[in-house]
Amino acid sequence: MKKLLLALSLVSGGLLPGLAAARPLAFVINSAEASVSMIDMDTKEEVKRIPVLREPHHMALTPDGKSLLIGDTAGNAVFFLDPVTGDVQRRATISDPYQLQYSPDSKWMVVAGLARNQIDIYDAATLTLAHRIPASSMPSHINFSPDSSVTYVSLQGTDALMAIDVHTGAVLWNTKIGKSPAGVLWLDGKILVGIMGADYVAVVNPANGAVERKIVTAKGAHNLFISPDSHTLYVCNRVDGSISVLDPKTLAVRGRIAMSGGPDDMDFAPDGKIWVTRRWAHTVALLDPATGQFTTIETGRSPHGIWLNTHPNQPAPTRVSAK
Amino acid sequence: MDPFDTAAGWLQEHFVIPLLYQLDMMQWEDVGYGWALFAVYGVAQVFITLAICLPLERWRPVETWPDAKAVTIDVVYTLINRIGVLPLVTFVLFYQVQVWLTGTLTDHGIVPPTLELLIPGLLGHQILTFVLYAIILDFGEYWRHRLSHMFGWWWALHSLHHAQRQMTFWSDDRNHVIDEVISFLWSAAIALLIGIPPLQFPLLILVLRFLESLSHANARVSFGRAGNRVLISPRFHRAHHGVLAAGQQSCNYGAILPVWDIVFRTADFGREYVRTGDPSGEEALHTGTWWQQQSAGWRRMVAMLRRKRSKSARSRAGTDLAA
Repeated sequence: MKKLLLALSLVSGGLLPGLAAARPLAFVINSAEASVSMIDMDTKEEVKRIPVLREPHHMALTPDGKSLLIGDTAGNAVFFLDPVTGDVQRRATISDPYQLQYSPDSKWMVVAGLARNQIDIYDAATLTLAHRIPASSMPSHINFSPDSSVTYVSLQGTDALMAIDVHTGAVLWNTKIGKSPAGVLWLDGKILVGIMGADYVAVVNPANGAVERKIVTAKGAHNLFISPDSHTLYVCNRVDGSISVLDPKTLAVRGRIAMSGGPDDMDFAPDGKIWVTRRWAHTVALLDPATGQFTTIETGRSPHGIWLNTHPNQPAPTRVSAK
Repeated sequence: MDPFDTAAGWLQEHFVIPLLYQLDMMQWEDVGYGWALFAVYGVAQVFITLAICLPLERWRPVETWPDAKAVTIDVVYTLINRIGVLPLVTFVLFYQVQVWLTGTLTDHGIVPPTLELLIPGLLGHQILTFVLYAIILDFGEYWRHRLSHMFGWWWALHSLHHAQRQMTFWSDDRNHVIDEVISFLWSAAIALLIGIPPLQFPLLILVLRFLESLSHANARVSFGRAGNRVLISPRFHRAHHGVLAAGQQSCNYGAILPVWDIVFRTADFGREYVRTGDPSGEEALHTGTWWQQQSAGWRRMVAMLRRKRSKSARSRAGTDLAA
């Protein structure tokens, strides 16, 4: 009997992580409910709802894959979650962490403070603030040049995109690119930005911020995601209620999938389904991109950032970038 | 799925987002959702108040009137406050101020207080935390209300609320705009001090306001000897609106809990269902249009401030002569 109790306590106490880690998990941030939903991707059931302080929006996986960082804006905190169990490892005090992302070389973490109009560059290893760049106004989405030397941040309040030297914190350029720019993605030497106040994706020259092309998708072009095989680019259109499907090489629009409920962030499951948060429908859609059909899983209020931990026993299975 | 969330999501997707898009204000889409959510709660609250208070008023009215024209203006006040202005102001303004303030404090190494940080066991227990926040806000409301009777210029504004001779459950929102703004700032300051989450603050205000509406009902409703000492009844609050209690010396100032009146010795449980109104107030405050009532309140406040200034000038002159 004692042996049985010991075995049970070992399992329940998390001392046998391999047992707990066998299932693929989806983490969904509920922005208007101060919580994170942890969903078992096999059963499609929410297995845990993790409370945070105030208003979380986005997340980032540490380069070693051991912690999932949840930025809590109004709580001025970053929660470190175990990406296998969902347990809170610790909480760090960080000012207004709306969007957070590690550089490709894993040396830096950039945090956009949307409410406080600031962009903070942290040393990723120590979480020491290296540079604070005032940004007028509403810095939201972040991406990097592949060599990690420059970070690009969209400024929703001033219709601009800002390029910052990561090492020095110097602003390289700050250029108007379109109304309420949102998602930022580096693709084949160009920067693509969803222009949420209009109906297109701006193709921006990373050297000077000039808009070279406008790819019309639909009203409220918001965020951009490249499929794991790099063959497809998806753009969610917030006002139109749709997801545009583009060829990443030519940027030609191949088609459009209707999805109501404010489609926002996405991640890609091994079975080919795309998991999409629907901000105003309080669900995650499991979209089959081949047919455009989707099923839904209920989450908390205003689901926003999403990350699929599909290889829970391996470190850093996928980047959480651009979420 | 929570029906309020569903309704708010629909409102956001079909009304708020298209409107923001047309107005080139898409950067406020997240904040817009907060408004949608609380507008829905506001509508629901008006209906719940109607469903509960109207039958009570029909069943056991304290007074009956040949016509209820004077009540119509109170309906206007209620709709403006609960569906439009109140959710917009409480959420948008409070949210902006709170994020800015707490972020600034965090930058200076001060972690802003929250009940959940002071009592870690509360994290994740949202209902219990909500009740604690409500009790603290109610305590603040007692003192705000008491002070609004004490100061002459403030009473000049607040007397608009007391001028109603046909008091019904609609009368709770019958307030001067400046009085409303002061009330909001007062509650918001307390909410900031104790770290109420931005999304809970307007909800708390709505819940408290529902109970306050009930206490204004034109109904012979008492909660009994013990119950009247736990929750404020229409009978208890009617004494506060009585013609003999109007003015700077009143009783029963509490909004939800009578305990504050008991502790600070302003409770009067002895008065029966008294006649309401303010005999010292001008007629425009009772029967005027919304604009006439607001103008009268403003005029009275300015007159009180002038009278105070000339009084203190005379007092200074007297001191000079004596010297």
